[in-house]
Amino acid sequence: MRAEFLPSLMSLVGVALVTALLLMVDRKAAVALVPVTYLIPVTVAATQWGIWPAALASIASMAVADFFFFPPIYSFQIENPEEVIDLLLFLVVSLVSSNLASRLKRETDALRRREREMQKLYELSQRLAACFTIGDLVSAIQDYLAANLGPQAAFFVATPDSHFEPPESKAPKAVLDSVASMAAVAGAPGRTIVDATNQEVWLLRAVSTETTVHGVIAINIGNGTSEAIKSKTAGVEAIVEEVALTLQRIDIGKAMEDARLHLQAQLLRDAFHGTLSHELCSPLAAIQGSASVLATVPSVDKDAQARSLVEAISEEVAQLDGYIQNLLQATRVTAGGLKPRLEWTDPRDIIDAALKRTARRLAAHKVLSVLDEDLPLINVDSGLIEEACAQLLQNAAKYSHSGSTISVKVQADPGWVILSITDQGVGVTADEQQELGRRSFRSERHQANVPGSGLGFWIASTFVKANGGTITVSSRGPGMGTTVSIALPASDSNLSELAVLDNE
Amino acid sequence: MNKPANIVLLIDDEPKIRRFLRAGFELNGYVVLEAENAADALKISTFSPPDIIILDLNLPDLHGIEVLERIRSWSNVPVIILSVVAGEDEKVRLLQAGADDYVVKPFGMAELLARSEAALRRYFKTATENPVVVAGPLSVDLVTRTVSLNQTQVKLTRKEYRLLHILAMHVGLVVTHDHLLKEIWTGNQRDNIQYLRILVRKLRQKIETDPNHPRLLVTESGVGYRLQSRLETASAEG
Repeated sequence: MRAEFLPSLMSLVGVALVTALLLMVDRKAAVALVPVTYLIPVTVAATQWGIWPAALASIASMAVADFFFFPPIYSFQIENPEEVIDLLLFLVVSLVSSNLASRLKRETDALRRREREMQKLYELSQRLAACFTIGDLVSAIQDYLAANLGPQAAFFVATPDSHFEPPESKAPKAVLDSVASMAAVAGAPGRTIVDATNQEVWLLRAVSTETTVHGVIAINIGNGTSEAIKSKTAGVEAIVEEVALTLQRIDIGKAMEDARLHLQAQLLRDAFHGTLSHELCSPLAAIQGSASVLATVPSVDKDAQARSLVEAISEEVAQLDGYIQNLLQATRVTAGGLKPRLEWTDPRDIIDAALKRTARRLAAHKVLSVLDEDLPLINVDSGLIEEACAQLLQNAAKYSHSGSTISVKVQADPGWVILSITDQGVGVTADEQQELGRRSFRSERHQANVPGSGLGFWIASTFVKANGGTITVSSRGPGMGTTVSIALPASDSNLSELAVLDNE
Repeated sequence: MNKPANIVLLIDDEPKIRRFLRAGFELNGYVVLEAENAADALKISTFSPPDIIILDLNLPDLHGIEVLERIRSWSNVPVIILSVVAGEDEKVRLLQAGADDYVVKPFGMAELLARSEAALRRYFKTATENPVVVAGPLSVDLVTRTVSLNQTQVKLTRKEYRLLHILAMHVGLVVTHDHLLKEIWTGNQRDNIQYLRILVRKLRQKIETDPNHPRLLVTESGVGYRLQSRLETASAEG
């Protein structure tokens, strides 16, 4: 309360000081100095405290001058009419100049405030320019609000479920409730809340890009005139806009980074598919070919030891080639280049080819194959299904002890042909079953003792699904063997109908 | 062996591949010429025509299929393609462009020699030669149209015989689905591979010991069928 009267009091003190000074000089000279010297406290009051203290100082100056310096002295009366005019003139001049001075002060004040705001905004934008993630941005906003608006501002981060983080802030309950009820949906309008306890106005503004809302800013802009609220609102909106621009930049930056990574992966895959596969396959072809020629050279052919070494080379090369083909198949899948070339195929041919290809790997096992008599044809990419079956056969051999039986069964089911491969091996646990379809999954049970890349089953299941088929794994438990079944869409044309055309 | 040695032209830009091919062919009595690019290959095949060409698809100056097409524009010389594990489509395209057969890298020399011999046999076959094609236990007399398995005559339907006849004429070589369909069927049945699949199944039941694991009439996945000229031992696979 006292602070409000301080400017008026100070201006009166100023007037008193000037009066004291003038009283010390010769009276005649003092009268001449009066109009000029009293303008000093008036102007000071105007520039420091505004129009009202200045006006007060003007009137006080006139009264004091009249009282102390214009005859009759120590009276408010004036003998000389000319001096009345002088005093009135002084009053007019001082009022006008105090008005001018105070307006000047208001304007410099406003300028200075705007400069400060600009400076802060500039600092914020500098800070935002260094933000590369949403996390950086959020902490930049929070720092800015805390430094410039103190506890009267808060930033609430949006949660993935389209709400805002439970706020931990000194903001009034009405604001917190309102934030909690806001949905973090792009394009949601801002809100203005009036705190019922002290009539202060809180602004809530969402910070968002076109598609995502990242949080909401709550700021107390006090309870000033509607004019003041409007200008503060504009200030808050400037911040929000600055932040939104940064968000957009971050989004674009992220999209570009994603695109760059994607491109790199693409280039890597292409490189692997083109150059690298050639670079790997062609030395292999040379080794394999040379070994095969070496095996037929008479001197080698006669020497059992030399012959077994040459055979070892061939076998290792074949295995290496198998691994490389696996990797190639896997890049083929991820590159999205898997376009099945569907053709009516005899399922027997597929099983036969897969068994032939894996004959070497299955050599230590007993292989039992049971095929239905009248199997319908299946409409698949035979290369892909053959690859899938080969992968499953290799797995069966890998995860069961040598000497055990691997049985291959092909049955007709209305509309489908079911190929199933059963081993007597390590089986599959319920946990492993969950993970099986994942690329590069290898069960911890076998990581130490069975070599592999975790690609086999993934390739098989991807190829089967690409052909419109389904793949299921069943096992009675660890150590109880595994059955993998592939169901493929079959021809519904009657086989005997097709066959009858040939009975000529 | 009074026939002069066959001349083979190896077209491959990889010296290591040419080296073992040369060794393999020379061990089997061939005379070997080499070319490391398409330009050399075309020059050699014009001025000293080989009896058979082994062509790699990856050449520095021209794609293999173009080399094949240029050679085919003036010559029927047998051409065997060395391909990497490529799509079936490419194999079919090469066969349609006039290649006699292909082998997929990495391959064994025995496989390539078998293909080459089959191609040479077909190329140099004359009318005076014995019209009986022998494939392991199977023999097909192309003139009397009789088929016997282990000296026992086998009765085939007309279409079954037609299929075996075409395969026997190309014994040891792959024959595409399209080729077979167009030779055996007429009308819109020519486009339906299902007929061919069923016909093959029936023919296998008559000529194979185990139709589920055929060793004479083998499937070339996505490409066609091949009648093997001799029974391969099971361990020779891979």
